[in-house]
Amino acid sequence: MRNSEIAISIKNLTKFYGKFQALDNVCFEVKRGDFFAFLGPNGAGKTTTINVITGLSNYQSGDVKIFGFDTTREYTQTRSLVGLCAQEFNFDPFLTIHQLLVYQAGYFGITPWIASRRADELLDRFQLMEKRNSKHRALSGGMKKRLLLCRALIHDPEILILDEPTAGCDLELKFLIWDYLAQLNKEGKTVFLTTHYMEEAEKLCKTIGIINRGHIVRIGDKKEVLQDKSLEDVFIEVTGQE
Amino acid sequence: MINNPIGTLSLSKREILRFVSVANQTIFPPLVSSVLFMYIFGVAIGSRVDLSSTGLSYLQFILPGLMTIHLISSSYENTSSSLFIARWHNHIQEVLLSPLSYFEMVLGLLAGGVMRGFVVAVGVFLISCLFTPPQIFHPILLFYFVIMIAVIFSCAGMMGALWAEDFGMLSMWNIYVIMPLVFLGGVFYPVDLLPPALKLATAFNPMYYFVNGLRYSVTGVSDVSIYTCVAFSFIMAVCFFFATVYLFKIGYKLRT
Repeated sequence: MRNSEIAISIKNLTKFYGKFQALDNVCFEVKRGDFFAFLGPNGAGKTTTINVITGLSNYQSGDVKIFGFDTTREYTQTRSLVGLCAQEFNFDPFLTIHQLLVYQAGYFGITPWIASRRADELLDRFQLMEKRNSKHRALSGGMKKRLLLCRALIHDPEILILDEPTAGCDLELKFLIWDYLAQLNKEGKTVFLTTHYMEEAEKLCKTIGIINRGHIVRIGDKKEVLQDKSLEDVFIEVTGQE
Repeated sequence: MINNPIGTLSLSKREILRFVSVANQTIFPPLVSSVLFMYIFGVAIGSRVDLSSTGLSYLQFILPGLMTIHLISSSYENTSSSLFIARWHNHIQEVLLSPLSYFEMVLGLLAGGVMRGFVVAVGVFLISCLFTPPQIFHPILLFYFVIMIAVIFSCAGMMGALWAEDFGMLSMWNIYVIMPLVFLGGVFYPVDLLPPALKLATAFNPMYYFVNGLRYSVTGVSDVSIYTCVAFSFIMAVCFFFATVYLFKIGYKLRT
């Protein structure tokens, strides 16, 4: 990795959808090994920022780097370092969930036998082993959430990006995901999380960034951002929304 | 050009297995319609068509054209449906998030279309053996044309899949542009039989060169210089391939 200390670096990022400005001169950095909560109301620019980082969105100006690699010019390097757990269930409907993970690992250059073993480990870890040979349509909503996580982790990425990973999950699944994310972060992975659950961000994260209408309105170490207030109070204060 | 061979092979394998797993929808229908074409045009009507100037029976004459028709439609349909469904379900993100280069992505997706086209073309040829003695004038040229034509129309299928907003738009190019041009490209008749104006118009039909390239490879007979057909199909394949890579690079209807 070219720059081992800064996992994600965004400078002066501007993004328009037609005439609508989704991101306005956004700047921030995420350190390696950080657990970063990226918060904001609906439509604030969270998913757009994630899409830019992962290469799913073009942007008009700015610099976006992953461990020093430019996401546009050096996209093959940056994409191998990132795993994305998206909001929506977007699985290939023709494949079983085991095949799906093995193919996904294959795109990352992992040989089929290693991919198969890793897929089984992840399916086992997320209690999906009994559905190994089923297609994703046979899975419940919670199982699909877990499968999204398995897919994001199949190539053992340095940075895990999670777009509302526990939305719609029951308590048991939420705690399972929290434990696993905390464990991954402890092992040195950088985690970038968006969520609408303030207690989730407060419990798990070390650094907090809040975006509103395409602008970063607050960013810093958790203690620095909270200053003895609850995250919910800070969120309402800087975004004006409950 | 290929830095991630395992990734490219994984995508190729997925695309090939997809059409193989639904062979009753992808492989057998063109073979069944070929049998009907060969019976009706080759056996029932063909005996009354005089093609003595070419030295071929009517069935021998139309066989390369039938191979071309099914090669083109199979290649086009494979990539267009695969990529469009991936866009529709948004599982194209699985590929877009991967470290495959745009060149490798196109190559991987192309593999399914080329392989399906190849399998169908071989199948049509094998079926023709039931009706006429097998003959291949130039096997290497035949392989060359099958691959070039499959590459061109697999890429066209990907472009169509990127352009289309719904399933109706997806099949529009195939129904209203590609198939009429193929049928008017000399599949069922020698161009010499046409009036001068139509003969001139046919020279501007790209399918004419593909049909004649394949016809020369199978029978040794062509309405147009084989060198022209070889060069034209190569240039078209390269242009279509890199145009598709370019569309992936700019993220045309792939990235927001």
